[in-house]
Amino acid sequence: MLKTQELTLNMGPQHPSTHGVFRCVLNLDGEYITKVVNHTGYLHRGLEKLAEARTYTQFIPYNGRLDYCSGMMNELAYVMTVEKLMGITEEIPERAQYLRVIMSELQRIASHTIYVASFSLDIAGFTGFMYAFRDRDRALDLIEAASGQRMMPNYMRIGGVAADVDENWFSQLQKLLDDMPASLDEYDGLITGNEIFQARVKNVGIVTREMALDIGFSGPNLRASGVDHDLRRDEPYGIYDRFKFDVPLGEQGDTFDRFVVRIKEMRQSVNIIKQAIKDIPEGPIMAKVPKVIKPPVGEAFHCIENSKGHLGFHIVSDGSTKPYRTRIYSPCFVSLGFFPIVAKGQHLMDAVVTLASIDIVLGEVDR
Amino acid sequence: MFGQGLIKGLGITFGHLFEKKITQQYPEERPVLPERFKGSFSLRVPKCIACGLCSNACPNNVIKIESEKDENNKKKLTGYKMMAERCLYCGFCVEACPTKALLWNHNFERAKFFREDVNLDLFNSYVPSPEDEKPAKPEKEEETAKPEKEEETAQAS
Repeated sequence: MLKTQELTLNMGPQHPSTHGVFRCVLNLDGEYITKVVNHTGYLHRGLEKLAEARTYTQFIPYNGRLDYCSGMMNELAYVMTVEKLMGITEEIPERAQYLRVIMSELQRIASHTIYVASFSLDIAGFTGFMYAFRDRDRALDLIEAASGQRMMPNYMRIGGVAADVDENWFSQLQKLLDDMPASLDEYDGLITGNEIFQARVKNVGIVTREMALDIGFSGPNLRASGVDHDLRRDEPYGIYDRFKFDVPLGEQGDTFDRFVVRIKEMRQSVNIIKQAIKDIPEGPIMAKVPKVIKPPVGEAFHCIENSKGHLGFHIVSDGSTKPYRTRIYSPCFVSLGFFPIVAKGQHLMDAVVTLASIDIVLGEVDR
Repeated sequence: MFGQGLIKGLGITFGHLFEKKITQQYPEERPVLPERFKGSFSLRVPKCIACGLCSNACPNNVIKIESEKDENNKKKLTGYKMMAERCLYCGFCVEACPTKALLWNHNFERAKFFREDVNLDLFNSYVPSPEDEKPAKPEKEEETAKPEKEEETAQAS
C-alpha cells in the first residue's frame, strides 16, 4: 500500500468560488478533505465601530456595505431597530410601509438571482449565470430608479422612506412581475432540471434538521433542512401579517434543496409584491420625526428575515445623538460555521459546491 | 430518460437565439439613466448661502466650505471642495441643501489615474448659467418652512 502525504491547500483569499475574500485552509489526502479551518476578516472595515462615531441617520448608507447584494433589507433592519428604540414603530405611514415591503421583496429577488447565478457558475454552468443576471438587472434598474443607486440604495429613513415612486415606476414593476414566473421556469429548465447539475449537487453537503439548528442556520438554509420557520410569517414585522404566502421547505437539506428553496422563494416574493401593489394607498411617506434624532436611554434588538437569514441589530443608546454601541447579528457569519463540519471527508470539488450553497457574502461575514 | 433535462435546457437557449439582443454596446450606446441617478455633484454657486448644512449632514466630512462675511454681514461663499475620494455617494448633502444649490448630475465616468484627481472643486469649476440666477420658487417655500424645522431641532435637543 502506497502512503500519501497530506497536502495543505489555501483556498482563497483571492479565489473566485469563495465569493469574496474568504480564506480556508484545507488539509487534503489525495483529493479528499481531512480538515478545514476557516479564516475570516479580510474585508473587516469595523462597521460596528464606525456606527459609534456617526449619528443615527448617518449610519444608514453604511448598511448597504454590509451585505452588498441586499442593501435595502439591511437598511430596513437598521431603521426598524432605531424606530423600536425611539418607540415610533406604530407611526410609520401606510404608504411607506408598503413601499418598504415592495423594495425589500424586490431586493430579495435580486439577491436570490445572484445566488442562482453564482451557484451555477461555481459548477461551471455559464448559461445559467447569464440568464439570472439578466433578470437581476431589471430588478436593480427599478431600485436605481427609486433610490438613485443600484447596490447601495440609501432609501430607507428613520420614520419612512426617502422618496416616493410614480405610476410609471409601478407599470415597470408590473412588467417585471409578469415576466418573472416565466424566467423562473427558465432557470428550472436550464439549471434545476439539468442532469449534470443534479449529479453534482444532490446528496452533497447534507445538513440535517438537528445539525441546522445546532449550527444556527437561519432563513432559506434552515428551511432547506426542513425546519418550518420564517420571521415574515411567524413574527411579522412591519405589515407582513397582511400578505398571504407559502414558506417553501426542503426535504433532506442537501445543496440541491438549498438551491430549489431559493427559486421557490422568489415565486413567493413575486406573489407578495403583487398583493402589495394592489393595496398600496396614497399618502405621506415620512412620519413626523425630529431632525436631530435622540432616542431615549435604553437598548433595542430587532431581527428581520433577510435574503440570507435573520439579520439583527442591537443598538444601545445613551441618550445622545450617537449610539453607544451597535452590534450586527450577521446570518452569513453564523452559517459559515457549518463549512468545517460538513466539508470534512468530502471531495475537493464538492467542497466548492457546499460553500457556494449557503450563499455567503463576505461584506457581512467580516462587517 | 437520461438527457431529457439537457435537451430541454438546450431548447430554452435556442428559443432565445433569434431574439433581440439585450446586451448594451456601452461606449457607443449611452445608457438611459433614471432622473434620480447619483453620478457626480454640481453646485449652483449664486444660490449657495454657505450655511454648512451639507457638510454637517455628511457622514465622512467630505465637504470643505470656505466663506467670508461681506459688508451686510451676510455670508458669501469663497470655496467649496469635495474630497470625493472619501465620498459614499449617499446623497444626504443634496437632501440637506435648503436652497437646492447642490445637485446631482448624471456624469458617471469619473475613473481617474490618480487618487487626488477624483476630488472636486465645485466653486472654481463653476460655469455661470442664466438659469441659476433666477430665484427659484421652492426657495421661498423653504424659507417659510425653515423656522418650523429649527423649532423641531430645538425641541429635540
